[in-house]
Amino acid sequence: MSVISLQGIKKIYHLGDNTVHALRGVSLDIEDGEFVAITGPSGSGKSTMMHILGCLDSPTEGSYLLNGKNVSNLPRQELADIRNRQIGFVFQGFNLLPRTTAVENVELPLLYSRPVMSNAERNERAVAALTSMGLADRLDHHPSQLSGGQQQRVAIARALVNKPTLILADEPTGNLDSKTSIEVMRLLQELREKQGITIILITHEPEIAAYGTRIISVRDGVIISDEKNTPRNPEEDLAAITPIAAASGY
Amino acid sequence: MGFAMHLIGLAWHALMRNKAQTLLAMLGVMVGVGALVTSMALGRGAQEAIKDQLLAAGANMIIVNSGNYEVERAGAGGSPADHGYNPPKNSRTPHLASAPIPAFPNVRLLNAHFEDDPMAEHDHPLASERLGDNMAGLGAAATLTLEDAEAIRSEIPGIDFVASGVHENARVTLKSDPTKQWFARLHGTESDLPVIRSGWTFPYGRFLSAAQVRNAEQSMVIGRVVADRLFGAGINPVGETIVLWNQDFRIVGVVDSTSWAAQPAAGDDQFDAIYIPVTTVHSLLNLSKLNTITITTESAGETTRISKQIAEILRRRHGITEQMPDDFTVKTQAQQLLGKGLSPEVARIVAGNLESIDALTIEQLSASLQRANTTMLALLAGVATVSLLVGGIGVMNLLLLSVTQRTREVGLRMAMGARGRDIASQFVLEAIVLSVVGGLLGAAGGVLIAQSLEQVFQWSTEVSVVSMAIAIIVAAVLGIVSSVYPAHRASQLNPIGALHHE
Repeated sequence: MSVISLQGIKKIYHLGDNTVHALRGVSLDIEDGEFVAITGPSGSGKSTMMHILGCLDSPTEGSYLLNGKNVSNLPRQELADIRNRQIGFVFQGFNLLPRTTAVENVELPLLYSRPVMSNAERNERAVAALTSMGLADRLDHHPSQLSGGQQQRVAIARALVNKPTLILADEPTGNLDSKTSIEVMRLLQELREKQGITIILITHEPEIAAYGTRIISVRDGVIISDEKNTPRNPEEDLAAITPIAAASGY
Repeated sequence: MGFAMHLIGLAWHALMRNKAQTLLAMLGVMVGVGALVTSMALGRGAQEAIKDQLLAAGANMIIVNSGNYEVERAGAGGSPADHGYNPPKNSRTPHLASAPIPAFPNVRLLNAHFEDDPMAEHDHPLASERLGDNMAGLGAAATLTLEDAEAIRSEIPGIDFVASGVHENARVTLKSDPTKQWFARLHGTESDLPVIRSGWTFPYGRFLSAAQVRNAEQSMVIGRVVADRLFGAGINPVGETIVLWNQDFRIVGVVDSTSWAAQPAAGDDQFDAIYIPVTTVHSLLNLSKLNTITITTESAGETTRISKQIAEILRRRHGITEQMPDDFTVKTQAQQLLGKGLSPEVARIVAGNLESIDALTIEQLSASLQRANTTMLALLAGVATVSLLVGGIGVMNLLLLSVTQRTREVGLRMAMGARGRDIASQFVLEAIVLSVVGGLLGAAGGVLIAQSLEQVFQWSTEVSVVSMAIAIIVAAVLGIVSSVYPAHRASQLNPIGALHHE
């Protein structure tokens, strides 16, 4: 069964007198365990697609089945519950709460779980998620005390903590240097491979999109290409970078 | 519970991310709640002070006199002759003239006492004539007994103390200087009287002890007016000897008033008076009955009800049928206070026609005192209300600012699955935490201010648990009310717009 099934999705915004056709009919199926990279330039409609896929917005037309359930026209409250249980978000700007420890940041989605989770269980799951991201020694650090890569790993831990079926990463490498970017892509690949989580990556960088198993290009609100891809190996890319970094280090 | 505490902790944490803003908003709440607590403390203190003064003045006191003057006026029982006692028909002078004058100091007077002062004008018969008379004359007929007092004490709820007494007019002479004489009220009483007269103080010595009463000792407490006349102001007369009825009495104390509502004055019943044990009066004058029973009620407002119950009990005990008039008179102190300064006839009519005059008087007295108090309270309450309003606006302002500053955070939380009402309750909770913490600090400040006012200006204040609870509840309500609009705004944010807010 498809995790995601879009049929004839259209999204029309009215900005004053202007009518913007952000999506002009998108149909798409994403299977369980895929790593889909959606690329396109600014204004192509990829962000709108991500909002609809992430249940942050509803389409003007068309149907969206998420895990077989039609979510195209649900009320705000139910969309919030679906986001909480099924979707983990990773953002370009990390979006961590300032002056708040890593653990508390990761606990955030669990605060909105229903039924209410005990304080101990929430803490336990947050620590486990951070540990799996290699941040066991950074639990009580504030975002300002962490590097960009570490912050993004906290954000990924937060996306994972509620055990979603789908992770939506919106330009996750936009604020990172290339080495850290590759490390983040490696992490996402590992999540797909080891935990079978479906990953949708929104990026305008083709070399980042190349880490996915499928690349979808969007332009002017329609899909212009949708191809299977052999993912790039992040280890090779890291190995290619490391000697230079190491040399500069000495 | 744990989750709620966790949320409160998070709210506190969020507030502390912007310490300066939070503290300023909290200051508004503190000032408002502090003003509220201070004004409540002052208001309650003033009320308590008024109540104390009224109690000290005897507003909660009921006095039962033996005999009944009302019968004559009401005419219900027929002619005065029905009372059993036949007063001299002509004038007082022949009656007084008929009394033997004790010319010899070494003669002991056991069966009667002679009002030997030519200044004295008595409207009651001599003790010898009075014995056995149970029907006549206000304060003169001895119709009351110690058993009556005991019945009142045990049968009526709402009574604090009961003291029985015998009352006379008497001339006292200073033994060391017989030229110094004074004519005063004499009260034969019990050791509990100072408890009833809550407005009493003893500048010298103390009141009669229970042992002195039990042993019928010749000890005496004198009122301040008497002390001033016999010894001069500021002289300690304790230990001096006073001659009364040709008997030596040793002074054990001087009684004075603490209440502005009852200042010692020549001719009054409390301080131009002397007090000796009722047992001493009984034994010296060979009496067994009482003139009065003095009762204090727990509350001043209940004197009317309790007066009626006392009358019922005494009518029953004295076997008085419906057709017969009372052989006693129940009066409240308020009636007596009212009667003062009026001619006896007028006072009698006023007191007789207005049964609930005591309640009226107390209410009127309280009302006039509390009117001044209310004005001050209204002023303080106005200040408190304005402060609370300003505090509430401060909280709302902080939250609106906070919603704007934290729009991205709201968007993030929504993306993580927070519903609109989760967001709203987060802001409401932050406002409550802010207001309650501010309220607690403000209430503590208010208590300190109230105490300083009490110490510096001697204003009476009273901080009650209830007023503290009200302050905290007001603070919490303030938080809720002022957060409704900002919280609603936050909950209605569009998650996408909020996430991309710069």
